[in-house]
Amino acid sequence: MGFPRLLRLFPPVLALLVLCQALPLFAEHPDSRPNIRIGIVAPLSGPFASGGSSFLEAATLAVERANADGGVLGRHVEMVVADSQGRVETAKSEAMRLISREKVFAIVGAYLSEETVGVIEASVAARRILVVPVAATAEITDGVKRDYPRYRYVFRVAYSIPQWAALMSEFLRERRVRTYAFVGSGIRWNRELAEALKKNLAASGIVPAYETFYSPRNPAFEPVAVAAAAAAPDILVLGDPGKNSVVFVKRFREGGSAVPILSVGGSLGDARVASTLPLAAPLYVQAAAWRGASETATAYVEAFEKRYGYSPVGYSDTLPHDAVTVLLSAIRAAGRLDTNSVLSSLEKGAFPGVAGTYRFDASHQAAWGTGPWDLRGTVIQWEKDGARIVFPRR
Amino acid sequence: MPPLAQVLLDGLFTGASFALMAAGLALILGVVKVVNLSHGAFFTLGAYVAYVLDTRGVDHPLAAALMAAVIAFAFGVFLGRSFINPVRSHPFSVAVGSLGFAILFEQAAQMLWGPHPISIDLVDPWVAFGGVTIRRWGAASFLLSLGMLGGLALLLSTPWGLPLKLVAEDEEIAGSVGMDVEKIRYLTFGAASAVAAVAGALLAPAVAISPTMGRVPLILSLIVVIASGMEKVWNIFFLAVGLGLLSNLCAYLLAPQWSYLVLLAVICLLLVLRPAGLSAVRAGRDY
Repeated sequence: MGFPRLLRLFPPVLALLVLCQALPLFAEHPDSRPNIRIGIVAPLSGPFASGGSSFLEAATLAVERANADGGVLGRHVEMVVADSQGRVETAKSEAMRLISREKVFAIVGAYLSEETVGVIEASVAARRILVVPVAATAEITDGVKRDYPRYRYVFRVAYSIPQWAALMSEFLRERRVRTYAFVGSGIRWNRELAEALKKNLAASGIVPAYETFYSPRNPAFEPVAVAAAAAAPDILVLGDPGKNSVVFVKRFREGGSAVPILSVGGSLGDARVASTLPLAAPLYVQAAAWRGASETATAYVEAFEKRYGYSPVGYSDTLPHDAVTVLLSAIRAAGRLDTNSVLSSLEKGAFPGVAGTYRFDASHQAAWGTGPWDLRGTVIQWEKDGARIVFPRR
Repeated sequence: MPPLAQVLLDGLFTGASFALMAAGLALILGVVKVVNLSHGAFFTLGAYVAYVLDTRGVDHPLAAALMAAVIAFAFGVFLGRSFINPVRSHPFSVAVGSLGFAILFEQAAQMLWGPHPISIDLVDPWVAFGGVTIRRWGAASFLLSLGMLGGLALLLSTPWGLPLKLVAEDEEIAGSVGMDVEKIRYLTFGAASAVAAVAGALLAPAVAISPTMGRVPLILSLIVVIASGMEKVWNIFFLAVGLGLLSNLCAYLLAPQWSYLVLLAVICLLLVLRPAGLSAVRAGRDY
């Protein structure tokens, strides 16, 4: 066979190779198509590992459920996990790695407001969808309002600071309190929350009797607890989702104060922790959803307990679960794995999650609030034999 | 309840809890002559021992303290013998290695008990005259730190404490008179680790137990030891209690954020005035 005859064979061989490459695109079986890769950025080590671990567990549950239901668009969903260590720079570089090296379709994360801002920069630069599950600072959705073409890839499932304050205010108004004390960790979103709450409640004549923020490095709990109790508020709002909230409750109750406490959620939503605290005076905890709030919420709690052996806290787990669920539902609704189509689907659609049905406004913020279509969240009260939903009243 | 009296009493107790941690750290710094950054890990170990016993129905603080002391002593002796002694002439290696051990311990604790904060039942406080609350963990810290530091001061003033004093003063002389310097060092390391674990076990009901809980006490106790110096044991107690009172007063009268800043500012000032610590015989600058 001479060289010219070999050349004649080249086109059919090339066509065969192209056909072989293209065949998986026509296959119907989910396993034969490339996986949908979703990046998860969460603090899995360091001081915020507790929240990050809940985040990952709940996201895993959502992905497992989607795969058990046959995947999304006939494809298997795969999580690619990155540890942000609770650091802004690490979160940003890990998000960049997920995008450039791991080729994820979208990212869910991060956890803290500060690290989320870093992840936003990485995701918008690469035009990847980012669903923010927990972080509450205004900066996250401000970008979408300010510069839509650049920041349109960012969506937030969690309640924003003003929404959070509105939900808390409604609860406080219903409790008919006249004064409150705000005590929390001295971090950015907490100060924003205290300010938003003050503004929100001022119209109803509810005023702060005491307000302070402790340093996470040297919290000085005892004098804060003494001063808060001495101010004799009708209720104490505890703005700290971390382990320090547990220590503060212990100090406050040790001092003999019977002032009710409303926690923003997190560690105090953990049934194992709550069972060790004095509960003679009310301890309320805010959550996105709770067992008994709806059939979906109860099913989620039972699935979580079965899978991990303990109950979810209803905040740092529920919201990441819903963030993943919303993203996968939007991909399904779009009908194709294309960023613009999924983005459009997220903007226009309504997506059921554990906390209710998520709809995004013009700034890509999920609608939480008191309107008929809004997500409302829940407040529980810890009692000796478990939690009871006290808000919204049913 | 008179708030200021309560704040002062709590400051006393908070300071005592700094002193409890600082006592062990000072012992290591004085005798073994290394900066042990794994000290906080032993505090955490003690708290987890208390938690494990509590989940098994043993909720007596002394049982937890005893068990924590035994386990931490064994770990401390192992660490002192296998790592600290061989590399102690390289201060940076010791610092990095002991920090590595602390991180390793945090990871192990996270794998064993999870990253979530856990808690054990809070013991009811006593209510004293005038409605002042005496927090039990505070009273325990105060009495134990007094006992520990008093015991150490007493030991150093008797012939029994001579080996420790001699090793601290001059290891070569101690070795030349037949003392097993290596053994004294690793036993001291074990004993100091046990003290940190006892502190963790006793304070466990008052705190949230988590893998990283030892970091803050480590920093505060390190500050106390460096600022007080190692020559006079009681200085550790007085400085710790003084800082506890100052921290609480600032938090109450100014704002909680100020307490840490003022505390650090006072320490910086102290170190500028007396770089070798409060108890240094001849205070002076390096220039």
